[in-house]
Amino acid sequence: MSADLAVRELNKSFGGLQAVSDLSFDVNEGEIFAIIGPNGAGKTTTLNLLSGLLTPTSGSIKLRGEEIAQLPPYRRCHLGLGRAFQVVQPFPEMTVAQNVLVGAQFGERGVSGAEAGRRAAEALERTAMGALKDTPVEDLNLLQEKRLEIARALATAPQVLLLDEVMAGLRPAEAKQAVELVRSVRDDGVTVVFIEHVMPVVRDLADRVLVMDYGRELATGSYAEVTADPKVVEAYLGESEED
Amino acid sequence: MSARGSVPKVEAADVTPRRRAGLSRDLIFTLIFAGLLLFAPTLLRALFGQASVSYLSLGIRAVALAVLALSWDLVARTGQLSLAHAAFYGAGAYTTAILLKNFDAPLWLGLPLGGIVAGVLALGLGAVTLRLYGIYFAIATLAFTEVVKAVVQELPTAIAGGTAGVNVAPLFRPTFVPGEMERWEIAFLRNQNYFYLYAGLLVVAILVSVLVQRSRLRSAFTAIRTNEFVASVMGVNPARNKLLGFVISSAIVGVLGALEAHRLGSVIPEGAFAVHTTVLALVTPIFGGLYTTIGPLLAAGFLSGIEETLKRSLAEGYLIVYGAVLVISILFMPRGLVGLFDRVTNRRRREGEERP
Repeated sequence: MSADLAVRELNKSFGGLQAVSDLSFDVNEGEIFAIIGPNGAGKTTTLNLLSGLLTPTSGSIKLRGEEIAQLPPYRRCHLGLGRAFQVVQPFPEMTVAQNVLVGAQFGERGVSGAEAGRRAAEALERTAMGALKDTPVEDLNLLQEKRLEIARALATAPQVLLLDEVMAGLRPAEAKQAVELVRSVRDDGVTVVFIEHVMPVVRDLADRVLVMDYGRELATGSYAEVTADPKVVEAYLGESEED
Repeated sequence: MSARGSVPKVEAADVTPRRRAGLSRDLIFTLIFAGLLLFAPTLLRALFGQASVSYLSLGIRAVALAVLALSWDLVARTGQLSLAHAAFYGAGAYTTAILLKNFDAPLWLGLPLGGIVAGVLALGLGAVTLRLYGIYFAIATLAFTEVVKAVVQELPTAIAGGTAGVNVAPLFRPTFVPGEMERWEIAFLRNQNYFYLYAGLLVVAILVSVLVQRSRLRSAFTAIRTNEFVASVMGVNPARNKLLGFVISSAIVGVLGALEAHRLGSVIPEGAFAVHTTVLALVTPIFGGLYTTIGPLLAAGFLSGIEETLKRSLAEGYLIVYGAVLVISILFMPRGLVGLFDRVTNRRRREGEERP
């Protein structure tokens, strides 16, 4: 297995605040990789650095061997990086199908109209959004919005898919469906990187887990390994169990 | 979220907008509309005789307004508020004026060249400013208009005429044949020829608008307008698409400016770069319905008609009433004429459904 995503000494500071510091990790091909950590640990900043909404202060990000740290988001998307947002942001004024079609038409260069239609249809079907394809996005509930968010990302034909807390706000039964979906996406050969607060989801889904705190790597390993790590227990799990 | 048995299978054809069918429908409408424009002068002449001269002038003004509105709407579709349309209009007008005054150029060269100069200016301005968001882009374009106007004014008088402007030769000089035609028919022929030129430009503007609306550019433009960050993450290049809309729009307006310079016979900086042009460019599509082809078209016809009627019945102060009509309509029709028609037809449809 080769690394789909190789992050080296990534730094991002906002003025005096060091949001991400000296972060390095590899995500292997076909892996489901979780990033966890307390609020403010720099998880979403890291995801924004990966997808290009933020440019790193220094450091390197390689997507399948290609340096992308300074590329704009659309170039990274063309190279095979997909992203679903935590706060769902469907395009208003469009139906579900039109939203997904944007990803299918522009996610990869040189996709024909017919091929874009096929990809969009496939993404809708995978996420069980087919019946809602002509619904205006304003009429969707939260679960449907989250599915749409994933459908759009899938329509861009990603090699690496970044998911930002897609389970947040879902009921347990819904979260279980979402877990199955993510797993089936991986089974189709897509590498998945996700941020998650719901620990059972991390346990069920992640092959490996990166724990962040204060913008740094605290530990990396399997779920069992990181949860047994005293540093992690102190920084994160201990605190959250008291909630 | 797993695939359940009850989930209906989605076919690619269900997802792709019926683009081709929609496109051919739009093209047929455009063709019919072009045919109407072709017969309009003859029809007006048969109906109104000598009075058709002024009706044709009104027609030319309405067509010019429609071109302005359609092209402005192209930029609006990408979420940008351009206040530079007077600059591109003026650039086109001055291109042909300076060309004819200083060079032994063919009479008609100014029309395409006016479009090219305006397009190149838009490319330069857009490359620098389209990274700005919302109001900052608008302010930059407004400032640009003033800069271009100042530059033209400060050019040596021998080249661009300074504040006094430049005379521009007419494109048509119909010859009077005594005994075979009446005096007014000279004016009619002149207006008819200009009308056809303007109508041709309008058909081009409609085609551009329709093609954008029926291609994947619509997807890209709408996505950028409603959420530029997400659009970019999904592979849409915001800068390139915004620039594309801006340059095409400005080039069309440049040709319009060049045409107007010939028709009106002269250009002066205050007229060619008037803020009024920019205001008309944005008010008309807003009145008609933004991000549509039919909205700006309807509004241009409607507003030209209202303006003319008010001008004839009120003379002085008609602009105040005209302004009031605009403000009130925009307040009560947030989605313009198109939105109003949608509401009416939807209500009728709903009433129809309620009946057994």
